[in-house]
Order: sequence, then C-alpha cells, then structure tokens
Amino acid sequence: MAILELKNVKKTFGTGHKKVEALKETQFTAEKGELIAVIGPSGSGKSTFLTIAGGLQTPSEGDVIINANNITDMSEKKRSKIRLKEIGFILQASNLVPFLTVNNQMKLLDNVKKGNMTKQELEQLYEDLGISDLRHKYPADLSGGERQRVAIAKALYSNPSILLADEPTASLDSDRAYEVMELLQRETKNKNTTTIVVTHDTRLISYCDKVYKMVDGDIKLEAKPVEEEIH
Amino acid sequence: MFLAWNEIKKNKLRFLLITGVLMLVSYLVFFLSGLASGLENLNREAVDKWQGDGIVLTSESDKSMPQSSMTLDQLDDIEADNVAVLGQLNAIATSGDIKANVAIFGIEKDEFIMPDVTEGEAFNGENEVIASDSLKEEGFQIGDELELSSTDEKLTIVGFTEDARFNAAPVLYGEMATFHRVKFGEAAEQNDDQINGVVLRTNDLKSVTDNEDLETIEMEEFIQNLPGYTEQNLTLSFMIYFLFVISSVIVAIFLYVLTVQKISLFGVMKAQGISNGYLSRSVIAQTFILAAVGVAVGFGLTLLTGAFLPAAVPVSFDIPTMLLYGLVLIVVAILGAVFSVLTIVKIDPLKAIGG
Repeated sequence: MAILELKNVKKTFGTGHKKVEALKETQFTAEKGELIAVIGPSGSGKSTFLTIAGGLQTPSEGDVIINANNITDMSEKKRSKIRLKEIGFILQASNLVPFLTVNNQMKLLDNVKKGNMTKQELEQLYEDLGISDLRHKYPADLSGGERQRVAIAKALYSNPSILLADEPTASLDSDRAYEVMELLQRETKNKNTTTIVVTHDTRLISYCDKVYKMVDGDIKLEAKPVEEEIH
Repeated sequence: MFLAWNEIKKNKLRFLLITGVLMLVSYLVFFLSGLASGLENLNREAVDKWQGDGIVLTSESDKSMPQSSMTLDQLDDIEADNVAVLGQLNAIATSGDIKANVAIFGIEKDEFIMPDVTEGEAFNGENEVIASDSLKEEGFQIGDELELSSTDEKLTIVGFTEDARFNAAPVLYGEMATFHRVKFGEAAEQNDDQINGVVLRTNDLKSVTDNEDLETIEMEEFIQNLPGYTEQNLTLSFMIYFLFVISSVIVAIFLYVLTVQKISLFGVMKAQGISNGYLSRSVIAQTFILAAVGVAVGFGLTLLTGAFLPAAVPVSFDIPTMLLYGLVLIVVAILGAVFSVLTIVKIDPLKAIGG
C-alpha cells in the first residue's frame, strides 16, 4: 500500500522570466517497508522534494497524499498534526533542542504525542546507535557525529510511518555511516515503515530498495542497485 | 512546562537576571503600596475608629472640619440613630523639650466616638486628655502637662489610645468643655454651644437633615476631602500603576529577545509537528515561573525590610492588597509574553530548516 504519493506535483518559485521550476512535474510513490534513496547534486531540488513530501510546504500544482490524507489544501495547523503523527525528520541542521539532555529530547516527544517507542526499544536504539553513554549530556557537549546519531534516534523514537532523512550520514565516518544505514534498513523492514534518504553519497545506495536520481528538478527512478557493483 | 523548566535549569544566569528585575519591581510596588496605606492610615485612622457612617458639617465649610462651625441647638435638625458631637482644633503641644503637632478633639464621654483607653484612664475633668499612643513613641508620658501654642490653658495626659491620628496629627481627646477653654480662652462660657461637626451612625444619610445650612457627608467622602489625602493617594497609586506597565514592558522585551534568539529552534520544532499551542504555553509557563518567583521573593524582602524600619516611617502592609498587586504583576508579566507568542506563531518552519 502506498504510504506516500505525489501526483502531478510541481513547485515553482517566482513569476515571469524569473520563474524557477524547483520541481518539475513529479510522480512519486513510496510503499510501506521501502527504503528509498534520492540522489543528486546540490541545487537539484532534493530539499524541495523532501519538504513537499514531508508536508512542510505545499506544491504549486498537484496533490500530496500522506497515509491516505491529502495534505495539499490543508491548513498549516492540520499539516503540523500530520507531520507530528506520521513523519520523522532527520535534518541537516541540527534538530536538537540545546537545553535538553539526550533523554529529555525523547521525553519532549512523549509530551506532545503518543505512540512513541517503549523504554526497552529506546534502550536498544541507544545501543544500536552507540549513544547509551550520552543520555545525560546536552547537545553542546556532543561531537558532530554524536549529535547526528542523537538526531536519528529522535526521529526514529516517534515511530513515524515515513522517515525523511536529509544527508543523515553527512557528519559520520564510513563505518558509522554504514551502521546507520543498516539501522535504518532494519527499522524500515521490522516496523514496515518507509524511509526516504536524500543524499549525494552513492556508497549508501546498496542499502536501498529503490534509487531515484534527481537532476534539475526532474526525478527519475534508477535501475535497482546490484550488490556486486558496490562490493 | 517541561520545555520551560528545562530551559530555565540550563540557562540559570539568564533567567536569574530576569527574575531579579521582576523581584526589584515587585519589591518597589509592595513597598509603595505599604507606604500608601501607611500614609492613608496616618490621615484617617482616627476617623476609621469612630465607625461612623457620615458627618454633618456646615454647608459653607466645603467639607472641611476646621472651617465648620455650628451650635448645639442645630442638633435638633439632625435625625440619626446615633449622633456624637465633635469640636476640633489643631495646636502645637509642648512638654519640656518635646513638641508635637496635635489635633484636639472635644467630645462627650458617653457618645460613641469616645475611644477605648489602652493605657492609663479616661479623662475625667477639666483639661484632662487621652492621647494618641503615637505621642508615646515621641516621648510623651502619662502625667505630662502640655503647653499649647494658642492658649495659656494646659492639658494633662491621663491615658493613651490606639490608632488615633487625624490628618497626620496625633489626637488628644478631651471633654467638650476642655475644647472650649482651649479654643475660646476667656470667652469659653459665651461659646459653650460651639461645635465643629456631628458624627452620625445611620442607614439613611439622605434624610438626616433638611436644614440648608448643614451638609451631610458620607464618611469616605469626608476622608477623601481631608487636606492632601486624595492628592497623596493619587500620586502613589499612579506610581504603582506605572510600575505595572513598566514590568509588563520589561518582561515583554526580555522574552521577545529570548524568543528571537530561538526562532530557528522553534522553527525546527514546528517542522517536527510540535504545535504553536505547545510552544506558546511553554513561553507562558516560563513567564509564570519567573514572575511568580520574582514576586514571591519581592514580597518576602518587603516584609523583611518592613520589620527593620524605624517606626517613624509610615508603612503599613496590607496583606490582601499586596497579594492583589502581586497577582496583577504576574498577570501583566504574562501579558508581556504575548508578543513572543505572536512571534512564535509567525515562524515559518520551512525557513527555519533552510528548505
């Protein structure tokens, strides 16, 4: 079943000869249990794609359907609820709250929504991400890689049906990057959720079920990656 | 509350400073209110002690007791459940080296404005008086003979009574005859029907008198017309109300700056779907914590200061009024947070994450 659907979606900025097509007419479908990569150079419209898919902005044309909710004409308030309930973001900019410890970052989510991970699941997640010892630390006391892993934990903690990750492995070394991708893959399969990873790191695509390539606002499905090509 | 409290815990110094400012403002408000009520008492406590409903003065006196001069036979025109005649005169009383500005009240011992004696005994004859116990603090004692500025008559203090100051002057209560002797000297006997006013207890002030030379004044109105009373109160009230505005603006500025610093953070949280309502409540909760702590400390500090002040400073802390002012301070602080709430609502989550 399609959890996320973009139908005839277009996004343009500006008018007249200054008009920029950030996203050309796009058809995109993501099923439950899929780990999808969107690759492309910077400026190709990846972020626009991600923010439209995540309900952060509305398309100029077309419909965005998240878990059977057409969010295109929804008010910001309603979209905000959908985001909270359905979507987990891993952003490039740190999405951690500077005055909360790692544990309290998770507790904040408990304060605003239900259906988050249980205590045991969270323990396991901490362990998988190697951040068990950091739980009482503030973001300022963490390294860039540690912050990124905490941000990933935070996104996964809320059990989103769709996880949108913008360069999730950007500040991680290769080993850690592979571990994080393995974790995302496992979470996606075990919980039958959908993960979309926007990246320019082609080493990661072996973990993905589908790979889309984005060039100048045009998104195209690539051939499914073959294991041998990578290793 | 969760976000609010954790942020305060992490940024102690920042929030301590805001609380400190609120504490100082509330300290000033409480102290001014204490001063206002102290000065009020200074003017009115003798009048309050009478527990009268109104007072009759002459129409031409314009509600001023010293200017009102009537005779005892005008009492026939006055109808009330309970009446008490009053003669009043201001003078300087001297005993040895000590001088004091006093108000001399001539009354009838069996009428209701006769004060309770707290020390010594009641006046019982010529030139004996009961004095306000505030004179005791200035060094006057029972048995002191007082020389007066306007006459050769001498008064003797035979007792003290509490809460007896009229228009800031300590009161000496004596017989009507004593008052007449002080006021008219040798002509006292020709003027022995002269009084200043009549204090009333009645439910129906309107029908007290139909004599056009007389005016019935409600007690509160009489107090408001004491010289300087209303002006003094207005001044202090104005200062207090202005402080409410100031504290609201201070809180608004502080919180606004803090909010602007956190715009990208709020944006990221909004991107994650955390609602405006939750973030706004958090700012309001934070304001409430800061204001409540600031006001509580200011309150305690005021009472502490009050305990160490010399008796000459006319402060009297009226706890219900202070609690009300404290509450108002907290409310105006929260009003100050409204600006920040508006800012939060306007944040575009997309811009905040650089999308």
